[in-house]
Parts: sequence; C-alpha cells; structure tokens
Amino acid sequence: MEADERRNGDPSNHNHRAPKKPRLAGLITESDIRSEFAHHQTGIARINNGSFGCCPGSVLEAQREWQLRFLRQPDEFYFDGLRRGLLASRTVISDLINADDVDEVSLVDNATTAAAIVLQKVGRCFSQGTYKKDDTVVMFHCAFQSVKKSIQAYVSRVGGSTVEVRLPFPVNSNEEIISVFRQGLEKGRANGRTIRLAIIDHITSMPCVLMPVRELVQICREEGVEQVFVDAAHAIGSVKVDVKDIGADYYVSNLHKWFFCPPSIAFFYCKKRSSESDVHHPVVSHEFGNGLPIESAWIGTRDYSSQLLVPSVMEFVNRFEGGIEGIMIRNHDEAVRMGLMLANAWGTNLGSPPDMCVGMVMIGLPSKLCVESDEDATNLRSYLRVHYSVEVPVYFLGLRDGEEGVKDKESGLITAYVRISHQVYNKQEDYERLRDAITELVKDQITCQNLPAV
Amino acid sequence: MASSLSPPEEASYHHRHSKRYSSSSSSTNGVAVESVPDFVKRPKISLPNYISPSEIESEFSHHDPAFTRINNGSFGCCPSSILARQRDWQLRFLRQPDRFFFEQLKPKLSESRSVIKRLINAEHDEEVSIVDNATTAAAIVLQQTAWAFREGKYDKGDAVVMLHYAFGSVKKSVEAYVTRSGGHVIEVQLPFPVISADEIIDQFRIGLEAGKANGRRVRLALIDHVTSMPSVVIPIKELVKICRREGVDQVFVDAAHGIGCVDVDMKEIGADFYTSNLHKWFFAPPSVAFLYCRKSSSGARDLHHPVVSDAYGNGLAVESSWVGTRDYSAQLVVPSILEFVNRFEGGIDGIKKRNHESVVEMGQMLVKSWGTQFGCPPEMCASMIMVGLPVCFGVSSDSDVSKLRTFLRERFRIEIPTYFRPPADGEIDPITGYVRISFQVYNKPEDYHRLRDVINGLVRDGFRCTSLSG
Repeated sequence: MEADERRNGDPSNHNHRAPKKPRLAGLITESDIRSEFAHHQTGIARINNGSFGCCPGSVLEAQREWQLRFLRQPDEFYFDGLRRGLLASRTVISDLINADDVDEVSLVDNATTAAAIVLQKVGRCFSQGTYKKDDTVVMFHCAFQSVKKSIQAYVSRVGGSTVEVRLPFPVNSNEEIISVFRQGLEKGRANGRTIRLAIIDHITSMPCVLMPVRELVQICREEGVEQVFVDAAHAIGSVKVDVKDIGADYYVSNLHKWFFCPPSIAFFYCKKRSSESDVHHPVVSHEFGNGLPIESAWIGTRDYSSQLLVPSVMEFVNRFEGGIEGIMIRNHDEAVRMGLMLANAWGTNLGSPPDMCVGMVMIGLPSKLCVESDEDATNLRSYLRVHYSVEVPVYFLGLRDGEEGVKDKESGLITAYVRISHQVYNKQEDYERLRDAITELVKDQITCQNLPAV
Repeated sequence: MASSLSPPEEASYHHRHSKRYSSSSSSTNGVAVESVPDFVKRPKISLPNYISPSEIESEFSHHDPAFTRINNGSFGCCPSSILARQRDWQLRFLRQPDRFFFEQLKPKLSESRSVIKRLINAEHDEEVSIVDNATTAAAIVLQQTAWAFREGKYDKGDAVVMLHYAFGSVKKSVEAYVTRSGGHVIEVQLPFPVISADEIIDQFRIGLEAGKANGRRVRLALIDHVTSMPSVVIPIKELVKICRREGVDQVFVDAAHGIGCVDVDMKEIGADFYTSNLHKWFFAPPSVAFLYCRKSSSGARDLHHPVVSDAYGNGLAVESSWVGTRDYSAQLVVPSILEFVNRFEGGIDGIKKRNHESVVEMGQMLVKSWGTQFGCPPEMCASMIMVGLPVCFGVSSDSDVSKLRTFLRERFRIEIPTYFRPPADGEIDPITGYVRISFQVYNKPEDYHRLRDVINGLVRDGFRCTSLSG
C-alpha cells in the first residue's frame, strides 16, 4: 500500500516529504534498541504503546540533564535557559507539522489540557451570550471520555447542547464515516441552531480507527461549522501531520505516546486568526494575556523537562532508517501484519482495513470468549496481564438494536476487539504470545462468565 | 566538625549539637515528636543519630557550588535522597505503565494525601487535594468564584478582597476569573516596612469596609499567609476571624510559602481554602502542592480541577489525582519526605525554628554592617527576611532592582531577589531597595558573609544603580 495513503488519511495528499536519507554508518542496531528500552519490564508482551507510550534511555538521560540544570541553579534556569529550551522544542514541532508560525504552537501537558482550553473558550461564549442557548457541539460517540466530561463541565453547564455521531465499527471505508458525519451535522443544525464546534479525532482511541480528518474538516467548512478542534492524541509519530493541509482551527497531539517523549507533553496548534483568539491556559500566571504559547510556558513552578526534549527526540529518531517517517511506516506495516496473523489464527476480523490503521490495529476476539460487557472486557484484560503477561486493551462492542454485527469463523457474533500497538521495541513473539493465550482460553472453554478471579 | 571550636555564629547551624535542652514538644502539626527527658540529654549516652552537616552537604551536592544561594524562597530545594526516590517512581511507571496506572497510582496518591492531611491537621482525607502548585490551586478556587458570578449565585459587583502584595500570578488569575465574570476586586494596601501586625489588621478592616460599601457582599477574601515580595508573615488567624465576623463568604489563604516555613494547622487557622507548595520549604521536587478545602465550606462541592478528565464529578481530590497522562512522581514522594525531615532534630518543626533563628541572626548581621534596617520586626518573619540595601546605591525603580539582581548573579554569582520600595512623600533618605534573604538547611554563615562583603565592596567603590546597563 502507498505510504501516501496514510498521510492524514487522504490518498490525494500531495505534501510528501521524502524520508531522510539514512546515515549508513550510524543506523541504530537491534541491540541498541534493546538497550534503549532496557528499563521496560522484561517477560511481558507490551503491545499497548497506544495508552502510555514509551521513552528511550537516551532521551531519559537528556531529561535528567535538564532536571539537574534546574536543581543546580533554578533562578538562572528560569531567567535564562527555560524559555530558550521551550522555544527550541516549539520550533522543531512547528516545522514538523507545517505550521505557518511558531506562535501558533503551544506546549501543554496533554490532549486533555488542550480540550479544557478550547471548551473553556466555548463555554465563555455561551455565558456571554455570544452563542445562543442550545447551539451545538458535534463530536463522535467514541470521543475520549475526558473530552466528553470536559464538554459537560464547560458547555452543557452553560446551556450548550451536544450531538454525538456514532462511529460505524467495524468500518470498511472512509465513506461510511463521512456519511454518518454529514448526518450528524444536519442534526446539529436542526431547528435553526448553529454548530459552534466540531470535535474530530484524527485517530480514535477505542475503537481505534484512522479517520479521514482532512475530508471531515472540509465538510465542516462547507456546512458552516464555526470552529473545528482535532483531537489527535495519537497522531504525531503515527501519521504524517500537516496542520495547514488538515485545516482545523485547533489541533492537539501528545508527544509521549508515539513520539518518544517522557510523560508528559503535547503540542497544541491554534491557527492564527485576525480576531482575538481568547484561548487561555486555565492555570493563570503572570503571563496571562501574552498569548497562549507564553502563558503555557509558565504555569507556576513545575518540572518542564519533558517539554525541553523535542530536539533530543529528533536525534533519536534520526538514528532510524527513514527517521520518524520510516518508523511510522514500519510500525504500520508490522501492526497490520501481526493483526492479520491474529485474525487468521482466531478466525476473526480486523476492525478497519489496513489503510485505516496506523501503528495500532483492532482485531476481533473469538465469540467463544463471550465478552458481554465493559466489565467483561476489563476482567479479560486483567486476566491476560496477570496470567499470560500480556498487556493489551480490550474493547467491548455494544451492538445496538438492528445492528447486524460481524461473525467469526464459528459463526458467533464478534463482540470484543483487542487493540494491538507496534512500536520499535516490539517483536513478533509479543503478538504470538497474545495469539497463543487467546487460543488456549478458547480451547479450555474459558469465557468471561467463568473467568477465574485474578 | 568539632563544635566547641567553631565560631560563635556557627553554633546555631550545627544541628548535631544544637540546643537539646530546650523543649521539643511544641506544636507539631500533628506529627509526633518525641520529648526527651532532661536526664537523658547527656552527651555520653548514645542519642538518636541525627543527620550530620557533612550528610546535609552531600544531600545538596547537586547545588551549583559556584553560587551563593540565598533564595530558597523562590524555587525551594530537594535533597538527593528524595530525588533518588522520585526516580524510582518514574521508573516504575516507565517499566510497565498500564500496571502502574491500574494498580498503584491511585492508592499511592492516597497515601501522600494522608500524610499531608496529618501534617496540616485536616479533618478528612477528601479535604486534601494534591495539585502542581499554588498557582493551580488559585485557578481552582477562583474558577468556582467565577461560576458563582456567572450563574447568578453572586451579584455582579460583589467584592473579592485581596492584598496589594498578592503574588503576580494570583492577581492575574483574579483578573481572568473574577473581573471577567463581573466581580469587583479590592486590593488592600499594606505598609512596608511594617512595624506591627496591627498595621496589617487595620488596613485589612478598611479593605473589608470598602468591599461592603453600597450594599455589596464580600464573597471571597484572598489572603497570603506569607507574602512573597515584599515578604512578611501576615497575622492570618486574626484576619480569618475578622472575615467571619464581617460575613465574608469564603476565605482563601495563599500559603505558597506555608508548609515547612510557618505553622500550618487547618483547624487553628480556620480558612475555607488553603494552599501551600511543598517544593519551596518542604523538600519536595518540583512540583507538588496541596489545596485544602474545608468540607463544611459553601462551594466546596463546586470545586473542580480545570483540566477535566474522566474523573470529573467525583470530588476535587479524585479529579486532581487524574488529569491525564503525566508524571505524578513528585506527588508520590511525599511520604519519603517525612523520613527525610525526621532525620533532623525536632523534625520539620526543628528545621523551621532553626531556619527562623538563623535568618534573623544573619539579617541582623547584614543590617548592622550596612547600616540599614529590616522590612518587618523579626517576629513577623519566618525563614525569609527583607533587609534594606545601603541608601547610597540610589535604587529608584523596579528596573534598578531587577538589573541589580542580574548584576549580583552574573558578576558575583550571588542569587538573591531584590525589591524596590517607592519612597513616600516627606521621607528623608529613605531605604528604597531591599534584598530578601532565605535560610534553609543547606545554607551557611559564609553565604551571608559573602553577600555582606560584596555589598560593602560596592559601597566602597561608590556603586550606583544608574551605572548598570540593560
């Protein structure tokens, strides 16, 4: 499959940057990689990079150096080193994501923080009467739970209403998603309401699907949606990110998931507009009013070291063939290959076609496991962790009335999926261990109903 | 280090040989301190193994040795044994983050909260939330105030009273949350230098009166426990009582310089909300603070962390314990800090007491040598004190003191914050420049001797602030 197709989920994207030429002498070796991740617990199949990410030893080392600089002489660091370090990180990111101006890029803790910033602003507009009561926020039903709560806290509380678009899953094409999204927008505009904000995931979390985000943003523009916020928590290091091409007003991605930073750091892109943007960091410091990048660069005394590491991470990824792009391509290809291996072994399916996956793939679990609730999924996950040393998230697919569902080779309904991740430290054995664990459970006729207590 | 041979001024800092015979059973903030009976206190009997001066040096060996570091107040300090424990926690997450998240994070954060709750004499665990810093705590409390204005619980124009010397970030937070939602802000002007606590109390009363003028209510009093610049210990218990008598809805104490600096007893102080950083004077790594919210306080249930996660609605303490993927290690080392401070005689209370005595002693030495004065009486300071700079420097603006601070850092490798005190009408030869000296366990008399000598050297050289560029 074409590398281009994965960029922003849109095959027609022409903004192709050729992968960096590998430095033949200095390419990282297998044993280097093992050494970089030697702090990971051995003996477990760690196939959940999507949740908490990873950080190589050399970047951790760089982090300690930054931390020490602060501890040695904090005043000097505060007055001199910190700002420069943050600007250096922001500049690297700005280039990477094709922003027009580094002032469009702020560093915050995580996507959850960025959501609070956007939703606080929307909430203020409702409070001030700029938005009418019942004007809408449109989002997908599988939006991250924290984002939903944030909407409750800042939008619903002041009279805004929400429209949830149900993501079809399993999904077969971008058109399926685009179609339901259009319907969602229509609902949002019903009865003369205005859609003030659309929240679109670039890569949904659970279930995990690479969305046609560029297309969806375009539809928002066509349909008069006032602002678009792309929650791309998983994006950077997973797919190529070109914020101009995507065209959203706000775009956030965590760097501690797929971009090798330690917890926690995210970049938050806010497209420059002619009018005052009124986005503010909720933790107000003396920098209030100086623009979000500056506000975010000082929110009181804290450890900012994780935000200073972006240049060090670039050094790390450039030791790999093809740099970060090479890593992304290989992660995708391996995840899909392992996903197909599992689906074949279990007689199940993939949750989305390969070109709608990134370094994460959803694979149906055998119906014989009888996963019938979220609780079942959680228990199964714990069981796999404790008894098989496999770390993988399990998703329960609650089918609604009238939905047909997909059947496995035993003709049973597939009600649950695992989400496997592939990152540079993973090996084939990790996925084989998962394969064998599930196969054994089925063979032993273990179900979620008779699962032994963990 | 033979204490009998050390110069008299060092006797206070020699922890091993400091006055054992004084009572060690004073207010302990809920932490039990053994009271050793007099007849045991004979040097020949083997006594508890307190931390030695060389161990202290070793704990802070990561501090830049080229610098004279007398500004603990700004960014605090963290001993290497705590840093090592912090790295342990970071590693636990990195090793197997899912397991750590599902099994360890919440119970371990609860442990930290329990430790803090006991230290500050709070009634219930849920009254204690752990946040990054006092700046975050201020945003939490003020956001609640803003909602009350926006939703009509408070009338537009109702007042929020705060001190003129409130921290810059807090002032901006008040602007962002209170002013923007229709609240009226009153700043209480405090005198500086200050002669007595009564001066502060009087001014505060006047501020409350102004708040209540024209039938308004005072919805929130925001009071520093220890102001930052200029630094003074505020008579907080008295002010809280006045607030209660005058019908102020809520009292929020900003005690960024609280725990490890002054006595922090929630029941005694009686505020609705109280926040303090642990990384300033309680040896935590950056950054960790607590926000205490009295259960019975109005609005306690409407407090939310501004970074909303799936924990929203479960109470502030729970919301604060999960604000998305982050490094929570600074919050997890709190129990270890207790171990550290209890290696000192008298634990944290002993440290506070000695820091206070030392900073006053060093301050007096400077005042005498420079011919200036303190910014407040010694009993109105804790472990920081404002010391007047020689008048001949000609300090006449904020810019002057800022440049002076940089000059001291870059030329002399002295780290000390400086303050410009505008002269009042009619004052003759007023002291317009002050330094704020801090004393923490790693400090030595030499640090202050150095400052003394550098300033005296500048005086001799006819130094004027106007000569500084930039």
